[in-house]
Amino acid sequence: MEAPPVTVMPVTGGTINMMEYLLQGSVLDQALESLLHRLRGLCDNMEPETFTDHELVYLLKGQQGNPFILRARRSLSHPTAPWHLRYLGQPEVGDKSRHALVRNCVDVAASHSLPEFLNEMGFRMDHEFVANGHIFRKGAMKIVVSKLSRILVPGNTENTERLSLSYLVELSVLAPAGQDTVSEDMRNFAEQLKPLVQLEKIDPSKQRH
Amino acid sequence: MSGGPAVRVSIESSCEKQVQEVALDGTETYVPPLTMSQNLAKLAQRIDFSQGSDSEEEGTEGEPRDREWGKQEQEEEEGTVKFQPSLWPWDSVRNNLRSALTEMCVLYDVLSVVKEKKYMALDPVSQDPTAGKSPQVFQLISKKKSLATAAQVLLKGAEKLSKSVAENLENRRQRDFNSELLRLRSQWKLRKVGDKILGDLSYRSAGSLFPHHGTFEVIKNTDIDLDKKIPEDYCPLDVHIPSDLEGSAYIKVSIQKQSPDIGDIGTVSLFRRPPKTKAGTQPWHAKLEAAQNVLLCKEIFAQLSREAVQIKSQIPHIVVKNQIISQPFPGLQLSISLCHSTGDKKNQRTTPEKASPDDHLYVLEHNLHQMMREFHKQQLSSVVMPHPASAPFGHKRLRLAGPLAYNKAEISNLQQSEGLLEKIIKQAKHIFLRSRTARTIDSLASRIEDPQIQAHWSNINDVYESSVKVLITSQGYEQICKSIQLQLNIGVEQIRVVHRDGRVITLSHQEQELQDFLLSQMSQHQVHAVQQLAKVMGWHVLSFSNHVGLGPVESVGNASAVTVASANGEYAISVRNGPESGCRVLVQFSRSQTKELPKSDVIQDGKWSHLRGAYKEVSWSRMEGRNFVYKMELLMAALTPGP
Repeated sequence: MEAPPVTVMPVTGGTINMMEYLLQGSVLDQALESLLHRLRGLCDNMEPETFTDHELVYLLKGQQGNPFILRARRSLSHPTAPWHLRYLGQPEVGDKSRHALVRNCVDVAASHSLPEFLNEMGFRMDHEFVANGHIFRKGAMKIVVSKLSRILVPGNTENTERLSLSYLVELSVLAPAGQDTVSEDMRNFAEQLKPLVQLEKIDPSKQRH
Repeated sequence: MSGGPAVRVSIESSCEKQVQEVALDGTETYVPPLTMSQNLAKLAQRIDFSQGSDSEEEGTEGEPRDREWGKQEQEEEEGTVKFQPSLWPWDSVRNNLRSALTEMCVLYDVLSVVKEKKYMALDPVSQDPTAGKSPQVFQLISKKKSLATAAQVLLKGAEKLSKSVAENLENRRQRDFNSELLRLRSQWKLRKVGDKILGDLSYRSAGSLFPHHGTFEVIKNTDIDLDKKIPEDYCPLDVHIPSDLEGSAYIKVSIQKQSPDIGDIGTVSLFRRPPKTKAGTQPWHAKLEAAQNVLLCKEIFAQLSREAVQIKSQIPHIVVKNQIISQPFPGLQLSISLCHSTGDKKNQRTTPEKASPDDHLYVLEHNLHQMMREFHKQQLSSVVMPHPASAPFGHKRLRLAGPLAYNKAEISNLQQSEGLLEKIIKQAKHIFLRSRTARTIDSLASRIEDPQIQAHWSNINDVYESSVKVLITSQGYEQICKSIQLQLNIGVEQIRVVHRDGRVITLSHQEQELQDFLLSQMSQHQVHAVQQLAKVMGWHVLSFSNHVGLGPVESVGNASAVTVASANGEYAISVRNGPESGCRVLVQFSRSQTKELPKSDVIQDGKWSHLRGAYKEVSWSRMEGRNFVYKMELLMAALTPGP
C-alpha cells in the first residue's frame, strides 16, 4: 500500500503560536549534587521532584524534504499520566544577539494509545530512550536535569544503559513568539549557574555528523 | 762693611732652583721658580683644614694625630719641608677661618632649628628694662597670653578627642544598622531598589493571590541627636509600612439570635487590643508581624466578601462596609466582620460600651485563618510538576481533560468548588447546632430528675461533625436499666440519632424535634425499666408495647405500656407511660382477693379463684420511693407473698 502523500508544512500550535526558548549544558555526575543544591536554592519553593520518562521519536518520511519528527513521551513514574506528544521546529535563525535558542513548539497531551495511532498514521519509530532526573521550576522557566539512557531491548524500559557519565541540563521557557525578555531572564538565570554548568544555545542541526 | 777694604765680593746666589733634569751635554734644566701666586697656593695647600684645633682633638683624635706624626716623619726623611702644627704658615689665618666656619655651622644649625619649629620655638624674651617699667601689667598680659595658648591647645585636643568618640559611635551605629539589617534579612524578604531597601511582607510567595503589594521600606534611623539621651527602645533600623496596613486588625465572627437594626449594620465596634510586645524581639519585627496580620485579615475579608456576592443562596448574604451577614438558620445571623484599628483614638472613644459583649467565635476565627492558609497552599501546589517532564506547566486537569475526554461534570469535580464563605457558614451551622443540642440536653436533664439523662461528648470532633452519647438511666438502677443509649451525630443541618438497636432517626435542626424525641425516649425508658425490673424480681412480662394504640392520644410521641404478673400469678401490674400524660400504674388482684366481687354461681370451683379480677389504680404520687423504678420495686415487693 502506498503511503499517502505527505506535505511537510510548518506546524503552528493552534491559536497561540508558542515558541520554546532553550539553553542547554551538561554536568558530570560528580557535580550533580552541587548543581541540584544550587538549583534548590534558586528555584521556586517547591518540593524537589524527580521523574523517569520514556521518549520515543517518530519519523514520517515524505517525498521531499526533511522527515517530519514527532516526539512521544510518557512518564514511567506516573503510569496513569497522559502521554505527551511534541513537535519541535527548526531553530530560528535570526537575531544573533538573542541569548537562547528559539524554536517552534507544539505540545499536545495524548491518551495512551498514541504509539498505535502514530503507527497507523505512517510514522515510524526512529529511536527511543529513557530520561530520568530532576525537574525544577522558576516562574515560567523549567530546568530539567536528566540522565539519558539507551534502551537495549526495544520496548523494554527496564533494561537500559546510560549514554554518558554526565547529566543533561536544559533550561527552557514556553512563550509566544517575539518575547525576547524571556531570553534575557534565561541568560540571567544561566549566569547564576555559571561555575557549575555552562548553559549555552546549542543548535542541534549543526551537531549532526 | 764700610771699614773693610773695598773688596768686591760677588755673590752669586746658589742655585735654588731645583734641577729638573740634566741633559747629556751637561746643561741643566731647572724647574721654573714658583711665581708669587703659585707659591701662595702651594702654601695654602699645605694648610690642613681638616685638622681640628688642638683643644678639640687632643683627646678624641689622638690616634689620627699619631699617624699624622708618622707621616711627617716620613716627610722628614724624604727631606721635604716639615711643619710643626703650630708653626704652619698662616696659622692664624687657618685658625680664624676655622673658627669662622664653626660659627657659621652653629648659626646654620640654630637657624634650621628655629625654622623647622619641630623641636623648639623661640619666644621673644621680655627685656628687663621694659619689665621694670610696668611689671604687673605686662606680667598679667603675658600670663594671660600663655594661659590662653595653653587653653587653646587643650581645647583643640578635647575637640579632636570628642570628634573621634563621635566617629566611633557613628561607626558602631552603622554597624548596628548593618547587623540589624542582616537579622531582618534572615526573616523577611528584602530587595534593593535604587537607593532604597524594600521588603515584602505579603503572602504572595506562600501562594496568596491578594493584589496588595505589601511592600515595606527599611529606613536607617541613625540621625539621632547625640546630645540627648538615647531612648531604651532605640533601634538603628526602622521600617515604614504602608498606611493601610498600620495598626492592628482581626476578623470577628459572631452568631446573633435576632437581626439587629438595619442601621446597626456595618458599624462593628473596633476595640483596640493593646499590642503585646514580647521581650527580646525587635520593634520592627513586631511592627512587620502586625502589618502582615492586617494584610492576611484583609485578604480573608476580601475573599469572603467576593464569595458572598458571587454565591447565590436562598437568603442572600449581605456585605456592608466591613461586615458580612449571612443567615445560616432562620432567625439566626452569622456576622463576619473585619476590625481594623488604625491607631487613631476616635473609634476607640465612641464605642466603649460595645467592647463588653465578647461573643467571638474564636474557633471560627481561627479556622478562617487556617482555611486561608490552606487556600494559599493549594494555590502553590495546584501547579504541579508536569509528568512527563517535557510537558508544559499547567493545571493537572487541563492535561487530563483532553486525553481522558472528560465532560464538564468531571472537570468541575477536579476543581475546588467550595469557597471560604461556604465552609465557614457550614462550620458556623455546625457549631450552632452543637451548642443548641448541648443546651437542650442540659435543660432537659436539669428539668427532669427521673429518669436521668447523661450526655457524653466526644472530645475530638470534625469541623462539620461531632457526636454525643446520651444515656437515659434511673438513679440506683444503672446496672439493670440500660435500655436507652442514643448516639447523636450532629452534622451541619441535621442530627442523626442512632439507637442502640441500630435504628437511625434523622432530626432536623429544629430544637423542638430533639426535645420531643428525648421526652418520648424518656417515657419509654420507664416502661423498659419496669420490664427489666420484672425480670430481676422474678415477675413475668405479660405484654409489652412501645407504642400503645389505645387510650388518650399524646401530643408528643406515643405512650408505651407493659404488664407484668407476679411469680405466682396472683397479681399483675400494668403500667402505661406517656411523654405528656405521665404514668398510670394499675394493679390487678386475683379474684380470690377481691371482696367486692359477687360470688358467682357459675364459677364455684376453687381453681377459678385464680382468675384475675378487677384493676385498681395505684395513687403513684403517694407511693414511697425516690424515683419511679424504686417505687415500682417496692410495689412489686409488696405484692410478692412472703416466704
